[in-house]
Amino acid sequence: MKLLSRIVLAALALWLPASAVAQEVTLPQRKGSVRFAVLGDVGTGDKAQYTVASQIATFRKKFPFTFAIMLGDNLYGSDRPQDYQRKFEVPYKPLLDDGVEFHAALGNHDDPNQRYYKPFNLGGQRYTTFKKGSVRFFVLDSNYLDPEQVQWLEKELAASGSDWKIAYFHHPLYTTARRGPEVELRTILEPIFVKHGVEVVFQGHEHIYERIKPQKGIYYFTAGGSAKLRSGDTRPGELVEVGFATDRSFMLVEVDGDELYFQTISGAGRTVDQGVIRRRASAKPPLPPSPKVTASKARVKPKAAVPATKPAVPAPTKPTPSPM
Amino acid sequence: MRDLSDEEGHVSLTERRGAGIRCTVAALLVGLALGCGKAERVDPTEATFAEFTKRIDDFVALRNRLADSVGQLDPTGTPAEITARSTRLANAIIAARPNAKAGDIFTPEVATIIATMIKEEYSRRPAPVIETRGDAQEELPNFIPQVDSLYPTTYPLATFPATLLPLLPRLPEQLEYRVVGRYLVLRDIEANLIIDLMPNALPAVE
Repeated sequence: MKLLSRIVLAALALWLPASAVAQEVTLPQRKGSVRFAVLGDVGTGDKAQYTVASQIATFRKKFPFTFAIMLGDNLYGSDRPQDYQRKFEVPYKPLLDDGVEFHAALGNHDDPNQRYYKPFNLGGQRYTTFKKGSVRFFVLDSNYLDPEQVQWLEKELAASGSDWKIAYFHHPLYTTARRGPEVELRTILEPIFVKHGVEVVFQGHEHIYERIKPQKGIYYFTAGGSAKLRSGDTRPGELVEVGFATDRSFMLVEVDGDELYFQTISGAGRTVDQGVIRRRASAKPPLPPSPKVTASKARVKPKAAVPATKPAVPAPTKPTPSPM
Repeated sequence: MRDLSDEEGHVSLTERRGAGIRCTVAALLVGLALGCGKAERVDPTEATFAEFTKRIDDFVALRNRLADSVGQLDPTGTPAEITARSTRLANAIIAARPNAKAGDIFTPEVATIIATMIKEEYSRRPAPVIETRGDAQEELPNFIPQVDSLYPTTYPLATFPATLLPLLPRLPEQLEYRVVGRYLVLRDIEANLIIDLMPNALPAVE
């Protein structure tokens, strides 16, 4: 009897977070927009990964994104054929079955031979680039940033024209998490990003969510908490606009014209951050800051609005929700 | 190679004539050996790295032949096929180098130059960078790398210091450097095999 009640409680605990919480999509879902999900540090194969994966699948029914980017540490521990199944193919089966493409970056826990795994879409390369609509993505291997990769990045960025430029990779250039930022990588990558107009960077490695205040005009998101969680490992302050480290999380992103909308969702299905970023080239006046953060104890209230004298880097704001 | 004209300046006047003859003969011999009329300065670091590059090239030529024999990698293969092929390649490399040992590629001469270079590079880096480099090793268990052993697939590959990498001799695409504790490791990527290592290559980090 005791065992039965434990099973019932465990089942409830699993079911409640995903069902009892309002699962609202606040992204505008405009016609022809580029829609994707952002997942980081997912490859544990454990219950937490499966719970978040299920949440992502639930949200996809309301926000039908066509691809997902993975920020590295795609397979923790061994990467035998059965690990590819348990840590990737099974948890994301509903998405894979629906034709969602995954574009993975390599993390420090990933064997570089993952570049040959077709569903990761690295095309046999440690670093690559791909385009979706008006967005050009640059997938880097921050684990081994050799001179060849740096030259390649410069060349590809220079050739990318007026597309949105989004870079993603494993190690954070900015973070307040315990292990700290990769200052060394930053000294190499940041000047290149600034020179070529990269607008947004997604980074993993730290098992939390952080939206960093724009650095030299670039928005950095740390989103390495899609399976593992380092509870409380974000420090509100000068650097972090919004930090969330009390639950796992993933992001939904929509790019429409000169606007990039984002919504960050906890493992329990709560929206913990949301906003819009406008391309610097559009030079529109900034909208008020303070994204509406719901149901998050770790909410970090922005301290100050971005001054109107900096129209190139508007502060995120709550987008206008639109019905399905 | 020693510069004979420099050496000549150190001999005494009484010895100068005999020394001059000896130098002339030596210069001629060197000139003949080089196929030109004068002795040339050769940077010892360059010469040592040239030897290192040759050893790397020899290894890559061997592993490429073996890769052909085990079947080229099929980028569209399943994880099972790619893993099986990686194991076959690693076994073939091990079998082809029965006497492989640490220092075959990182010869003592190369190791001395690289260790000095790394030490100097570390000394130029600020404390936060050194700390981050130390942190990169945090997730590696107590692991002692061995030549011709597989890099354990359950262990992470510590991030290689990005500003150190451009200073090291460039490697062909089949190989990479890795740091394991204070070891500098040469790894065949597709075979996941440690092909040589250099102990104490990196300074101890607190």
